[in-house]
Amino acid sequence: MLVASNNTAVGNSTRLAERSTGDAQPVPGEVTPILDVRNLSISFRGRDGVTHVTHNVSFTVAPGERVGVVGESGCGKSVTGLSLLRLLPERTAIIDGEIRFDGRDLMSMRPKEIRAIRGRDISMIFQEPMTALDPVFTVGQQLIETLRAHYPVSQAEAREQAVQALKDVGIPSPETRVDEYPHQFSGGMRQRVMIAMALICKPKLIIADEPTTALDVTVQAQIIDLLTELSENTGTALLFITHDLGVVAETCSRMITMYAGEVVESSPVDDALRRPGHPYTSGLLRSLPRLSDRGSRLPFIPGRVPSPHALPEGCSFQDRCPHSGDGCERYQAVVEIDPTRHARCHKAKELNLEGAV
Amino acid sequence: MSTTVSQSKQQHPQNIVTVDNLKIHFPLKGGQTVKAVDGVSFQIRAGETLGIIGESGSGKSTVGRALVGLLKPTEGTLRYGETDISALSAAEYKRLRKNYQIIFQDPHAALNPRMTILQSLVEPMEIQNEGTRESRRKTALASLERAGLAPEIALRYPHELSGGQKQRINIARALTVHPQFIVCDEVVAALDVSVRGSILNLFADLQEELGLTYAFITHDISVVAHVSQRVAVMYLGNMMELGPTDSVIEQPLHPYTQALLSAEPRPVPSDMREDRRIQLQGEIPSPASPPSGCRFRTRCPYATDRCKADAPDWREVAPEHWVSCHYTTPSGVEQ
Repeated sequence: MLVASNNTAVGNSTRLAERSTGDAQPVPGEVTPILDVRNLSISFRGRDGVTHVTHNVSFTVAPGERVGVVGESGCGKSVTGLSLLRLLPERTAIIDGEIRFDGRDLMSMRPKEIRAIRGRDISMIFQEPMTALDPVFTVGQQLIETLRAHYPVSQAEAREQAVQALKDVGIPSPETRVDEYPHQFSGGMRQRVMIAMALICKPKLIIADEPTTALDVTVQAQIIDLLTELSENTGTALLFITHDLGVVAETCSRMITMYAGEVVESSPVDDALRRPGHPYTSGLLRSLPRLSDRGSRLPFIPGRVPSPHALPEGCSFQDRCPHSGDGCERYQAVVEIDPTRHARCHKAKELNLEGAV
Repeated sequence: MSTTVSQSKQQHPQNIVTVDNLKIHFPLKGGQTVKAVDGVSFQIRAGETLGIIGESGSGKSTVGRALVGLLKPTEGTLRYGETDISALSAAEYKRLRKNYQIIFQDPHAALNPRMTILQSLVEPMEIQNEGTRESRRKTALASLERAGLAPEIALRYPHELSGGQKQRINIARALTVHPQFIVCDEVVAALDVSVRGSILNLFADLQEELGLTYAFITHDISVVAHVSQRVAVMYLGNMMELGPTDSVIEQPLHPYTQALLSAEPRPVPSDMREDRRIQLQGEIPSPASPPSGCRFRTRCPYATDRCKADAPDWREVAPEHWVSCHYTTPSGVEQ
């Protein structure tokens, strides 16, 4: 069903053994989080050994909060998203750590219990709606199936709710379109159908993995406005996985930056944009061409993301970091810059990093 | 088109490419045609970068392919300098064609996985029958260096390289035949943000060193704003607006350009965001049955009956700033 990872290359690393495990981040504010991920490490078993893809990923999402997860390809953000609903292939994926959702431990649930959560309490939106929708069923049938899998409603009632769901996401004439097949919808409309399906059971959390990447910019604007509006109206929390910092800036209130399988920063979006706490976040923001700065040389981050088998000792960003020096060769613990901002960099408090503005 | 006459009068003496009323139609089963490009006219001046932006289905990539002869015009003419390329013999065309190169979006798909980088680099020169085996090798290595890569890479295979490195190889390969003009079709779209800057800087350096001319095709407005001196905006096979980058970005005159610019998500803190998003209804219609009159009217917030009946003229609304809209003025759309 889901091919998860672009990180399935094999190899070995002794890195995890050296790592301390006790740096789960404190919850911002006093709110009990709806999602609480602690020390999540994901590895894949391959022919020649085990590849460690993420290391001690810890973050929380408060009820109704919209959190963006950013990072370049291969940083582990999609794998993390899939692991939350235990969608990684069980035979090859080794998941270690804690995933608590609404006070319950997702890791220790039996398959039947996790199935009851998928689609009802937590739902997911993927990048490519055409591959996520089944081409041989009408969108109505797929919406109804999702709803009736979790709630004991009659066919007629479910159909009514399906029409309403399509209406809520702004699909014109939902009464007739409910009986159409996915191929009869345009790309943007298909993504709206996906959102309708994600919302039909009124989940507490939606995980959206690059939901607008395949769309044109005018359609993307419609979809991110819709997601923000629906999340505000229904109180659904959103975990927004994307490489597009502009999209995060416009939809989310907090931003988590991942690099080489680790969370390197967690800050309120506006703070991260203005004065990022980690040099990698700063590098990403500075690399974006700005409309106001035309024709000048563009900053970029030299080098490339290290492969999971060749991570340097200590900070995984040190080889590309303009601020690297003494202490970077040691394991980097999460530093609290202030109660809402955390970065995995021992210089986080002293550095004055440039953001997007 | 009556307006093309006035445009060609003030033709720049050193146009690398002149496109006049270009149409590219693809037949469909059942007698329909997809009008991918439907009557566009523009020039590309020596040494400049012309940015071409538009959403999927706008025809921007089709124009790009036509510029290097990968697609034949259904109608209209394409001139390289003063030469109408449809009048050339196959041999003459092949000789001229090497000055006009294209680099594609997917750096991996553009390289043969079974060939070493060196083999890929010398192939264009072999096709052009240029030089000896040894001189071709030398040129290839010099191109690699110019693209910022170490010569050791020449003996590797594409799968051993990163996306950024592969795109540098594609650039190096285009340079081996010393082109004047390169079409860059979404050349950084497949690359991570952190390396985009280095590739765009490379394009700028090469332009300065070698006097290259680019047509930079992309959906990313911030990229186009950064690299281009002039910007063309396409929608559904037509050109909506063409003008100096500063004017088009600072004061877009076409309602579509205005909406497109306002839709671009900006990575700025919430208190710095201007709340000026123009929400367009719906999506780009099918190019097989485009709307009558103005192509944009079905999504345009200002559309009237006139827009339905008549296709707007291609007007020079401000100096060097061309727009296809009935209602726009030098200060924007007036109702």
